[in-house]
Amino acid sequence: MKPPYEEPGQECARAWETMPWALQGRAEPERRERMLAHLSQCSACSEEFALQTRLHAAMSLPSDLPIDAEAGLQRLLAQLDAPAPAAAPRPRSGWVLKALAASVLIQAIGLGVLSSRLYSADQRAQQASYRTLSDAAAGAAAGAVRIVPDPRMPLADWNALLRSLQLRVVEGPNGVGAYLVAPTTDADDASARTERIVQRLRSAPGIRMAEPIAAP
Amino acid sequence: MTDTDAESDAADRLLLQRMAGGDREALAALYRSYHGRLCRFLARLTRRPDIVEEAINDCFLIVWQKADGFRGDSRASTWIMGVAYRCGLKVLRQHGADPVDQDELPSERFPVDDPDQDRELRDWLSKGMERLSPDQRVVVELVYGVGYKLEDIADLLDCPIGTIKARLFHARVKLRNVLPALAGAACPLTESLS
Repeated sequence: MKPPYEEPGQECARAWETMPWALQGRAEPERRERMLAHLSQCSACSEEFALQTRLHAAMSLPSDLPIDAEAGLQRLLAQLDAPAPAAAPRPRSGWVLKALAASVLIQAIGLGVLSSRLYSADQRAQQASYRTLSDAAAGAAAGAVRIVPDPRMPLADWNALLRSLQLRVVEGPNGVGAYLVAPTTDADDASARTERIVQRLRSAPGIRMAEPIAAP
Repeated sequence: MTDTDAESDAADRLLLQRMAGGDREALAALYRSYHGRLCRFLARLTRRPDIVEEAINDCFLIVWQKADGFRGDSRASTWIMGVAYRCGLKVLRQHGADPVDQDELPSERFPVDDPDQDRELRDWLSKGMERLSPDQRVVVELVYGVGYKLEDIADLLDCPIGTIKARLFHARVKLRNVLPALAGAACPLTESLS
């Protein structure tokens, strides 16, 4: 920091720093003499010192506030004699209450979101439960068989095979090319017939897999 | 520390020792001794007499309660002024730093024996101080009014000495800029040093 005026050397800065302490009688004698010598040659510093002198004089005046020392002292002594106030619990300040309310609200919202997510996850788990090709399809006809034909199997062969076994397509093809087929007629011994159909399908060319649907 | 400072500090410490033993006469003596400079010092923070008085009494209540804990690491006056400064800030926070309402002040603001020259000087100072921040006003008061060294002020305000130097520097620059017309009317240069 430098004094706010031109200085030919460091003397102005030294004088600027010394002024307050010289006015208080606290400056070292050597610095004080050096400052006085500089003031006689520097009009800017001389002007600043005049301002500082006036400032010091003004600051040394007693306070102009109408405060009675004796009255204040009597109040202080009375305060010392007064019984200490009972330590009452401090009421919570407004911001503490607001912070607590916000905390409860955030926890409630968090619990709601968590519950919703858990419910959704449970629903998805139920929907995505593992199913095999032999699982009973909803509404599957009695004696139904799940079969996976070779994609290169000619349509005529596929139709001929189903006709020969008196089967019809009930469902499919699904994502892996599986069909659900069921007998077109009823039979007394459905189980034995299903077994026969499965054996025929498994031995038929162009059928990769044939699996009876388990009874629901 | 000058000889006068040392004597004054020794007297203050003696009073504090007596206060630590419950001597209320010592408290009264210290209160009267500091009242004027504390009024002037705290008036740099606020012009409200009720706040200044409350801060002074809060300060002496603490000084009374902690007199036996004063270890003398600093001058007694530095400790007391530091307590007063913190009490002043606290009271200001409680009451709000409202500017003083001139209508609430007694019509006879200046003492009846205040000569015209002093009144003019006060007005001149008041105009300059209004342009300073509270921090700058406090430092100017502690340097020019109380007569503290920068180290004492840094200790009292719990600030680095560089901060105090900067506040004093900027306060001086501001005062120099806002009071140029009156600067020429100052007393002769060497008068106050002779």
